[in-house]
Amino acid sequence: MTGILFAKWKTFLRKPWDFVLFTAMSILFAFIIGGSNDMNTLKIPVYADEISDNLDASLEELEGYHFSWLDDEAKLKELVENGKAELGVILRDKDFEIIVGMDSPNVSMVEYALAGIYEKRMEREKLTLAIEDFPKEEQERLSKEWDSLNDNPVFSVQSSTFRSDDAIVYDSNYHFLFGFTLFFVIYTIGYTVLPVLTEKQAGIWDRMILSPARKWEMYVANLANSFLQGYLQIIVIFLVFRYAFGLDFHGKMMETLLLILPYVFTVVALSMFLVSVVKTVQQFNGVLPIVSLSMAMIGGAYWPLEIVESEILLTLSKGNPLTYGMEIVNGVVMYGYPMEELLFPISILLCMGVVFMGMGIHLMERRHI
Amino acid sequence: MIELVDLSKRYKQTEAVKKVNLFIERGEIVGLLGPNGAGKSTLISMLASLLEPTSGDVRFQKKSVLRNPQPLRKVIGMVPQDIALYEDLTAEENLHFFGRIYRLKGKELKKKTEEVLEQIGLTEHRKDIVKRFSGGMKRRLNIGVAMLHEPELIIMDEPTVGIDPQSRNYILETVKRLNEEKKMTVLYTSHYMEEVEFLCDRIYILDKGNLIASGTKDEIKDIISLERALSIKADRWENEFVTKLKGNPLISRIHVEEKEITVIVPREVNMFSAIIQIAEETGQELNSVNRKDPTLEDVFLHLTGRALRD
Ligand SMILES: Nc1ncnc2c1ncn2[C@@H]1O[C@H](COP(=O)(O)OP(=O)(O)OP(=O)(O)O)[C@@H](O)[C@H]1O
Ligand SMILES: [Mg+2]
Repeated sequence: MTGILFAKWKTFLRKPWDFVLFTAMSILFAFIIGGSNDMNTLKIPVYADEISDNLDASLEELEGYHFSWLDDEAKLKELVENGKAELGVILRDKDFEIIVGMDSPNVSMVEYALAGIYEKRMEREKLTLAIEDFPKEEQERLSKEWDSLNDNPVFSVQSSTFRSDDAIVYDSNYHFLFGFTLFFVIYTIGYTVLPVLTEKQAGIWDRMILSPARKWEMYVANLANSFLQGYLQIIVIFLVFRYAFGLDFHGKMMETLLLILPYVFTVVALSMFLVSVVKTVQQFNGVLPIVSLSMAMIGGAYWPLEIVESEILLTLSKGNPLTYGMEIVNGVVMYGYPMEELLFPISILLCMGVVFMGMGIHLMERRHI
Repeated sequence: MIELVDLSKRYKQTEAVKKVNLFIERGEIVGLLGPNGAGKSTLISMLASLLEPTSGDVRFQKKSVLRNPQPLRKVIGMVPQDIALYEDLTAEENLHFFGRIYRLKGKELKKKTEEVLEQIGLTEHRKDIVKRFSGGMKRRLNIGVAMLHEPELIIMDEPTVGIDPQSRNYILETVKRLNEEKKMTVLYTSHYMEEVEFLCDRIYILDKGNLIASGTKDEIKDIISLERALSIKADRWENEFVTKLKGNPLISRIHVEEKEITVIVPREVNMFSAIIQIAEETGQELNSVNRKDPTLEDVFLHLTGRALRD
């Protein structure tokens, strides 16, 4: 078995072009498409309609968002319409409006944050109204007290989002990085599993069948090679983003790399299945992009599944390994899911992997080359 | 040593091999001859325990190999019809790889590799990547890989298709040498008569899944002893001449090539004058009319009415 792995490894070192190409593509796409935003913060254009007080100070305090003030409402709408901004905010005296370009979890987060700010403002106004008739000194004293109470509350309600304790926002940088990584690794793995078919057709497997090597060794060695190459690609991509582009994975890179393993396994199994049903290399070349592209689209590699409304697509996504892969990596890095929540996608992936692998090897064994 | 009993293989529509009986004795070179699609590859895949027969049996040293192929697999070496090599590795790396598969290690592996490289004449190209090899070199390495573990029986499936005459001769000589020096038993498959005539002690002729003849070279040639092959040569053929030949009741078989027509006629009839007369009638110019020693090619023509390489 080590002999087979060794030969594969040598072949890989001599011809790493597929690997290099798909790795570079992942990095490039994730960088160009995801990287158009400033890393780690979300830029939101704001336009304020006749507001006197210092709302902007409250906005500045929100972590993870960068508000840029515009003096023209039309300009803001244009930015959102052209997709230059995910969303825009129009502030009015009594309420606010969110202009949504791309629906994402950010919308509700911004809405939640703004609602909080407006609530405070209203209370302050109520107070002002209530003490209107008091003497001036008393008014000043009371409002000072109110302010200091607000800054140092007697008891505070810790408000946190349902997603996590930190002010982590949905970040399209991570989404695209993970999306393209999980997408392109399908190609790398697919094309390393393909030799199971071509070597079988060429008669190399016949040679091994006649030799003392066992069947299972041949499968294990071939598939282990695919697994390692796919995994290596993910490691390389993550390292590049971590150290060349400074993406910190919210300190969860090691966890992500560990928890992505089931996805890699499932993709190897899926490739084995595909290889067992195609008749020729040309067919495989045709089928692989169809499968990987639809997986990427349905599984939310290009856009968050949260914005998908079609029931059919959502149902389809439940049978798609990439959906669960995205759920795991997004869950770990962006939403800080605890382990229990990740167990579900992990076990689904492992189940799918076992089924695909079983069917793939069974079909492969039954065919006459 | 090995024996096929009523061996048949049926794919969905095609019956590729029909009730074939065949045996190989230790030390022989046996030829399996047949045109494209005759079922040669199917037959030897079953013989080598790589393909399950639809019916019939394969016996090695009197025991069926269908249930227990291991004893046969230990002594067999197989040269597949297609090049079964890692094209991105060098010749030496390929030999090392397949050697390791056969559990060869260290010094022994090195020694065997050197020896095989020498035998197939690729010592100088050991460090070259197989992909850049010529067709003939690939074929030679394809054979070399099957010899690493010194098999007692080597099965070669058309090892010379599509290569230059020099490489071809080299391969034929190598096979002969292996048989003489190493006492290797050989089953040699081909659709070239000359190769089989040159190499083999005994010959089986397969056509459309049926064995249509078997025996030593002379025995097979005797099949057409009551008849005789004539070779007619010319630069070009008049249509009428060919038509008339085909219509002649004494000519049992005819095969037309660009500059040569072979006809099979009864031994006792003198056809020379008849042919020359037909030529005169039809204005056909002739270069020569000769009696041919029968070749296996003629036997095939006699048996099937077709030429081997059509
Ligand atoms: N896997 C298969 N499935 C269906 N039919 C097959 C299969 N393999 C071979 N055949 C058919 O069986 C017949 C014999 O094929 P085979 O390859 O054994 O012939 P061959 O004598 O080796 O020919 P060649 O000289 O072209 O190699 C052919 O008609 C072929 O189409
Ligand atoms: Mg064949």
